[in-house]
Amino acid sequence: MAVKDVLVVKELQKQLGHKQILKNISFQAVTGDLLVITGPNGAGKTTLLRILAGLLPKSGGEVLWNGAELALDHGRVGYISHQPMLYANLTVQENLRFFGEMYGTMGAERVQELLELVGLWLYRLEMVSVLSRGMQQRLAIARALMADPTLILYDEPFTSLDADGREILRQVFEQHRDRSIQLAITHEPQHFAGLTYRHLGLDGGRVVERGYTHA
Amino acid sequence: MPKFWRKVFLIYLKDLKDEFRTTDHLLSTLVFGTMLVFVFSFALQLVEIGTAQVFPAVLWVSIFFMAILALQRSFAKEQDNGALDALLLASGDRSILFYAKFLFSLTVLLLLEVVVVPLLWIFIDVAGAKANLWFFLGAVFLGSWGLAAVGTLLNGITVQLPGARLLFPILLFPILIPLLLGAILCTQGALVGEIKAVSGWMYLLVIYDLLFTILPLLLFDYVLEG
Repeated sequence: MAVKDVLVVKELQKQLGHKQILKNISFQAVTGDLLVITGPNGAGKTTLLRILAGLLPKSGGEVLWNGAELALDHGRVGYISHQPMLYANLTVQENLRFFGEMYGTMGAERVQELLELVGLWLYRLEMVSVLSRGMQQRLAIARALMADPTLILYDEPFTSLDADGREILRQVFEQHRDRSIQLAITHEPQHFAGLTYRHLGLDGGRVVERGYTHA
Repeated sequence: MPKFWRKVFLIYLKDLKDEFRTTDHLLSTLVFGTMLVFVFSFALQLVEIGTAQVFPAVLWVSIFFMAILALQRSFAKEQDNGALDALLLASGDRSILFYAKFLFSLTVLLLLEVVVVPLLWIFIDVAGAKANLWFFLGAVFLGSWGLAAVGTLLNGITVQLPGARLLFPILLFPILIPLLLGAILCTQGALVGEIKAVSGWMYLLVIYDLLFTILPLLLFDYVLEG
């Protein structure tokens, strides 16, 4: 059996100016976990995800990846935001190739595999600027998976996706269970219906609810 | 090629491809530079002044204004669609971004200068009989190197701040004063063929450039945090 990665978040705090965004957030996750984080606007969800991605420094507490302090270069992080995080003047294929080369996971087969997964293979030569928002979001999913990630962070991943796109994303959740820890922020937990996941409710920077939903 | 420089090169190539696919920004900066050349040349025809004395200042004022427009672009394009975050995650080391953006900015600046400097030379009608061309090109290159290095560093600092477009030139100018002073004096020395008198300034340009090329290796991790 493959070795499981462990993410430990202990008493995590984040202060921006005078405002305490995160107040002693603690949880653990291991490979195979899908953790769905909900909460009202301003609860600190995106801040939490950005700290876990290594994009934002924490103010206190610990974030441990396999026992070591987490940093930007701790491993392969796939990050899907409500923004597509793509280059509008590059083609669909060029975007994936660029990120593939950056991650060192470059391969024409891998690009084709991911574009077929998200239903964009036929659009591979199109500029990202001419794609619809939903198609850009599909490409953003492929871009994040190009990293072959061990930690996948989804910030409102269902944004702009149509029914097919939502189904593709649900497949991604299932397919990456055996190799990744997955954390997803959502305002629409109904999209996770039928999936096994743990639930973390945030409000005012604190964990106010924990749960477990079995498919 | 070590992983670090391979990533620098990949981002650099991506930026060039992106820039040349939509040349509107490059062209608008070039048009601006050309307009400056015409304005200066018309204005200088109205006064009796030696061109070798005035050319260096006019040259570096033109390069400085073009640089402000050109350098802001390097990080701004990463802000579109939030690509900066994806790039940070993929690069792992933030200083990779500095070196890629620095090389990109230097390339763009040199390309603009290839057009603007000869135009300025012709229109101001520089008497270059005694000019030391290699020293002149060295001064332009080292000045541009420093502009690109400081510009990239400050661009990285300001890009995520509100009012970045205003802050950038305000912060840029005071830091560039020694560089601009050195570049102007070296250019003047090159034009009149008195390079020994200004060789000290040339060394200053080299030290300045090295400082602002190496410093971000230590600083850039903190620059893009936030």
